[in-house]
Amino acid sequence: MSAEHRRLGLAALLALGAATLPFWAADQYQLHLATLIAAYWVLIGGLNLVVGYAGQLSIGHVGLLSIGAYAFAILAGKAGLHPALAVAASGALCGIAGLLLGLPSLRLPGFYFAMATMAVALIVGEVVLAQGELTGGGVGLPVPGFPAPFDSPAGFYWLTAAAAAVVTWLTWNVARRMQGRGLIAIRDSVVTAQAVGVPVLGAKLRAFVFSGVCAGVGGSLFAALQSYITPDTFHFELSLFFFVCIIIGGRGGILGPFLGVVVLTALPELVSPLAKLGNFFYGLLLLAVVLVVPEGIGRVFELVAARLKPRPVESVPVQPDLPRLARALRSNR
Amino acid sequence: MSPAAAAAVQPGASLRAVAVTRRFGGITALDGVSLELRPGEVHGLIGPNGSGKTTLLNLLSGYYEPSEGAIALGNEPLERAPVQRRARLGIGRTFQKPRLLPTLTVLENTMLGAWPHARAGFVETAFGLPRAAREDQAARSRATELLHGVGLGHAVARRANLLEHAEQRFLEIARALAARPRFVLLDEPAGGLSTDEIDHLGGILGTLREAGIGVLLVEHHTDFVFRVCDRVTALDLGRMIREGTPAEVRHDPEVIRVYLGA
Repeated sequence: MSAEHRRLGLAALLALGAATLPFWAADQYQLHLATLIAAYWVLIGGLNLVVGYAGQLSIGHVGLLSIGAYAFAILAGKAGLHPALAVAASGALCGIAGLLLGLPSLRLPGFYFAMATMAVALIVGEVVLAQGELTGGGVGLPVPGFPAPFDSPAGFYWLTAAAAAVVTWLTWNVARRMQGRGLIAIRDSVVTAQAVGVPVLGAKLRAFVFSGVCAGVGGSLFAALQSYITPDTFHFELSLFFFVCIIIGGRGGILGPFLGVVVLTALPELVSPLAKLGNFFYGLLLLAVVLVVPEGIGRVFELVAARLKPRPVESVPVQPDLPRLARALRSNR
Repeated sequence: MSPAAAAAVQPGASLRAVAVTRRFGGITALDGVSLELRPGEVHGLIGPNGSGKTTLLNLLSGYYEPSEGAIALGNEPLERAPVQRRARLGIGRTFQKPRLLPTLTVLENTMLGAWPHARAGFVETAFGLPRAAREDQAARSRATELLHGVGLGHAVARRANLLEHAEQRFLEIARALAARPRFVLLDEPAGGLSTDEIDHLGGILGTLREAGIGVLLVEHHTDFVFRVCDRVTALDLGRMIREGTPAEVRHDPEVIRVYLGA
């Protein structure tokens, strides 16, 4: 229980720090980075249920991010819709896109599912290029910002951070209840999931559609932050980046992947020698995590504590309490 | 029984396999075998390796479809029903090699078994509506009672990957019971257990019988099977060679010849 309290305490501290960030950020660039992290997290938080909980290797979420971003740019820009409505429409559109993508592909075994999501990401990029009249083709599109009070950097940060907080809350609710256990069962043993009655495809699909909605909302905020998008904004490495954030953070948690996206986004920017390393830094970190702490950086402290102060698991013989079992079974019906 | 589907099955109905045959390619793993599992009965299923015991268990729990023959719960035909529907109808099972979720605690593994009784869907759960929390609380307290009941009270908060072999086996039983099953199908639950632990398992099976749960016991420890079962079915090469009380089966010359030895 104490580990859980520590995690909740850390989460509260992070939330407090995030809420007050515009007051203590050193410059506008740091605020921009924090907004970018929040926009990424809107997508990654939703993707986390698919990758970290249900264990489905989606490496194509940049495709959904791109659909959300262009939908927002077109609806709020060209069509002149209110940005709030445009965000909602992008979320809905990407939810539908998730359904259409997930329905056939989530039946596939892991590797083939990953390939299907990758293919979709590549196709979306090509379609964006080909539909020049709508998307601006290779030249790209300007993206309108949000009206006051969200038109300042701090205002837009708070809006994006609030969206990130909502996504975190939604995934946390799923993760700690029966729905979350069902997803973990799909990840760790499909046979067990079936035996206890989890509708495997249906549960995967719900999580995937949810991740689509998150990608749509995240894509809208991401586009508004960039203020101009081109197909190059949505390169495939970004998709791998989302996936790697979750793997480095650790599967089956929320705090870990969040630390993952913070570390991977902020470290190369704030520590300039790392920026020179570029992808080399990501590669090195990924290798180190997979080899040294495969459970993810979210659990490093826990694991180190366990190593320093090992609690021997005492062997207790199994001793059934049959009257208690009988009572539990009677309360059955 | 909360699901509407379960209400359609009358109480006291038995789980039946009627003349089921299952072929894998050219091999007939099970050939016209019938078995009736009644509520409140411990039914043993014995036979040499490859005699079709696990195949029959997989046909009853829904992992295989029969090539011929029928599976039914009362009047409800089940031979094409997916595993999940059978779970909702109250048919639970354990696995020969325990299949637990290693990163979850013993308590959470047991709570997973209550999935058929959770009505709160994905969206409802995500928005934190009270029903999901209420159902979780109910599942938690019941799982805790079941775990103490089967003798895992000391390990409730332990991660499942830290369990010893016997604890894993008993946890599988607790998870199956969390679904409030009418029937549980146990695939070699005594495998790898010590004599004391097998005695404890026998006690648990007796308690299940008194609670009105039908138990199918696939097992190689024949003296254990004859000690705890009400009825026993013996298979050989996919065919049923004898069905009857433990005493009848134990003294059947065919069973002795192919399985028990002199």
